Amino acid sequence: CRQPVIIAEISLDNPSRGPHFTGCRSREQETFRCWWSTGIFQNLTQPGALRVFYQTKNTLEWQECPDYTPTVQNECYFNKTFTHIWTSYCMQLRSVPQNITYDEHCFTVENIVHPDPPIGLNWTLLNVSRSGLHFDVLVRWAAPPSADVQMGWMSLVYQVQYRVRNTSHWESLELESGTQQSIYGLHTDKEYEVWVRCKMSAFDNFGEFSDSIIVHVAQIPSKESTFPTTLVLVFGVVGVVILLILLVFSQQQRLMVIFLPPIPAPKIKGIDSELLKNGKLDQLNSLLSSQEMYKPGSYHEDPWVEFIQLDLDDPAEKNESSDTQHLLGLSRSGSSHVIHFKSDDDSGRASCYDPEIPEDMLTASLLPGNSGRGDQHPLVSRSSSSTPSLTALQTSEGAETPIKPTTPSWANMDFYAQVSDFTPAGEVVLSPGQLNSPPEKKKEDDKKIKDDVKIQFQLLSDGAYTSENTARQLAADVPSNPGPNQGYQTFPPQAVEGNHGWNVEYLAPVDVSQMPYLLPVAPPASILPPVSDYTVVQEVDGQRSLLLNPSTPQTSVCTHSPNKQLPAMPNMPMGYLTPDLLGTLTP
Amino acid sequence: VSQVSVCCMLLCCGSLAVPLDCNDGTSCISISPEKLLDRVIQHAELIYRVSEESSTLFEKMFVPISPSALRNPGGKVCHSKSFPIPNTKSEIQQISDKWLLHSVLILVQSWIEPFLYLQTSLEQYANAPGDLVNKTKWVSDKLLSLEQGVVVLIRKMLDEGVLMSSFVFEEALSPYDAQSPEESVLRDSNLLTCFKKDAHKMETFLKLLKCRETNKLSCLFH
Repeated sequence: CRQPVIIAEISLDNPSRGPHFTGCRSREQETFRCWWSTGIFQNLTQPGALRVFYQTKNTLEWQECPDYTPTVQNECYFNKTFTHIWTSYCMQLRSVPQNITYDEHCFTVENIVHPDPPIGLNWTLLNVSRSGLHFDVLVRWAAPPSADVQMGWMSLVYQVQYRVRNTSHWESLELESGTQQSIYGLHTDKEYEVWVRCKMSAFDNFGEFSDSIIVHVAQIPSKESTFPTTLVLVFGVVGVVILLILLVFSQQQRLMVIFLPPIPAPKIKGIDSELLKNGKLDQLNSLLSSQEMYKPGSYHEDPWVEFIQLDLDDPAEKNESSDTQHLLGLSRSGSSHVIHFKSDDDSGRASCYDPEIPEDMLTASLLPGNSGRGDQHPLVSRSSSSTPSLTALQTSEGAETPIKPTTPSWANMDFYAQVSDFTPAGEVVLSPGQLNSPPEKKKEDDKKIKDDVKIQFQLLSDGAYTSENTARQLAADVPSNPGPNQGYQTFPPQAVEGNHGWNVEYLAPVDVSQMPYLLPVAPPASILPPVSDYTVVQEVDGQRSLLLNPSTPQTSVCTHSPNKQLPAMPNMPMGYLTPDLLGTLTP
Repeated sequence: VSQVSVCCMLLCCGSLAVPLDCNDGTSCISISPEKLLDRVIQHAELIYRVSEESSTLFEKMFVPISPSALRNPGGKVCHSKSFPIPNTKSEIQQISDKWLLHSVLILVQSWIEPFLYLQTSLEQYANAPGDLVNKTKWVSDKLLSLEQGVVVLIRKMLDEGVLMSSFVFEEALSPYDAQSPEESVLRDSNLLTCFKKDAHKMETFLKLLKCRETNKLSCLFH
């Protein structure tokens, strides 16, 4: 049988001591051996110099070692007959000649049992992880043949250890009473070394380790490893896309603003749109006058500047009817004279001219009140001196003055010029500022007005209009003072930059009874107060007619739908009717 | 062996609460001798492990001197039994079944009373660990169960009737009176060590008996 080459329990005593027992061991709880050393005493090395005696509880006398192993030096072997378990032994190392006991050692056999290593160690692969990086193995062994476990003489427990090859640290697993154990979580592509040892259960002495085995699993380049990766990528992309869509939908408004910014409303450089809506007229006039395009002479290039040409067939009828009637080409006799406005070239300006308007309406609306005759023209009388204006429809006492049917020369005209009167021939007499100057009476006034007035007319591209108050006063019978709010306030106090011309389309109508009329008279003298060039439209009634005086229901020349009534207009600020406001008023 | 494993064994085994006298018509739990022997062996194994743990625990707590001194039980011997128990494997192999069972029974019965003494002795210590006290108590209970099981085995396997441990063996241990604390500590330590040895004996005998029941030939000629 195999002699275990064991340096049995190294004594921690003084190594320089004399002869002493170095240890006793049993492999299978059936036999045991004891070893000793001579120590530093060199004179005792010859065999037989030292002898071992033992004593058990059964035999009270000391007996000598039954078998000194011949092949091994300093070993005493106790065979089965001399091995008593559950019995305490005491060994003594003596030198017989001198009768000196050098050492004594007591024990019981089961306490010195160190089982032999297990045999038959092998491993089988349990599984490999999905990633192919880890694997599990099942390690198996058999009990040492010397240990009689079948009879139950020895109950063994085993301990498995493993390490990565060529490293120094061993991993220990728990004690196992069976003959197999699983090792989990090993890495592929690493070589592992595994061995096992055993001990008696409830005892402390482990035996020697078995021979180690190598466990190695090559890493399989898993084709499936890419598959989950692609899946993960796909799902990640889909998730991100969904998130983006949700984000876009939740922040739709904001994103719309960012990516599709609102188109800015058309602006005129230097002009605030709010000012245009709500500002005072004088501010507007100053604003507009500062614009380049309204400088003198610019109007020549504007294609849309249009000049109204009046075409009256029968100038002789002037004496019979009012000037206004002549202006509009109508007479009480139901003249069919119609003033044709050159509306063909109307580009952008709303023309109130509607040929479908029944004549009687127009007649009615155009009939002036005769009360105004002879009186100072309401317009004239009420204009405040602080509101210089181009002479608007001005009447003069010389209303009957015939007007020469001259074609106004359009050159060098003011930007706006108000029609002051109509000649019986149908010509338009313009306010001061036009070159074909009216009668002398006007001249002084013109100059005065020229210097003082700055009129901004180009407020809307769709045409000029007469301010309400102006129109009202045009037609008013009663020279009622419109009050400070109702005067010719529409004209800003600033002086107009010359009279560039005029852009008059029509005269705002007034009450039926108060027919606006334009007296084809020469521009009044200086006694005539300046008249506002246009009237602010205060209201649009149901018939889509512009009402210049909200207090009185009025019809308009421009009436298109005579049967409608509009709600009263809101209190207009000084200024004009903006298109959007006009839009709000339409039913 | 950890305490956890001991508890698991306890749960598995249960107690050998087998009524010994079924003649009076009371319900008996019938169990085959093989299964009973297995249960008895489990008891013996468990008792042995607990005794080893108790001995280690006691040494750590109460014996400050190095354990190597204790491994030298030269002066201290366990009380010998009234009959010699073979202690070599060959002799043990030659023991008859009857002898094996009787030996086990004697051993079990001999330790019931000393463990009672041990419990009282542990209570006298100021800082006896609760673990040790519990283990001692547990061993006492399990010894009684083991005794019952062995008695039934003897009756079934040997067709003999035995008496329960109503008598007390003459103990070598003198009554615990007027002993110094050091002496009592040494005595208790010795007692635990001896018990551990005897528990190993019981386990070994029972396993040998088991081996003989399954395969007589291989057990004899090992």
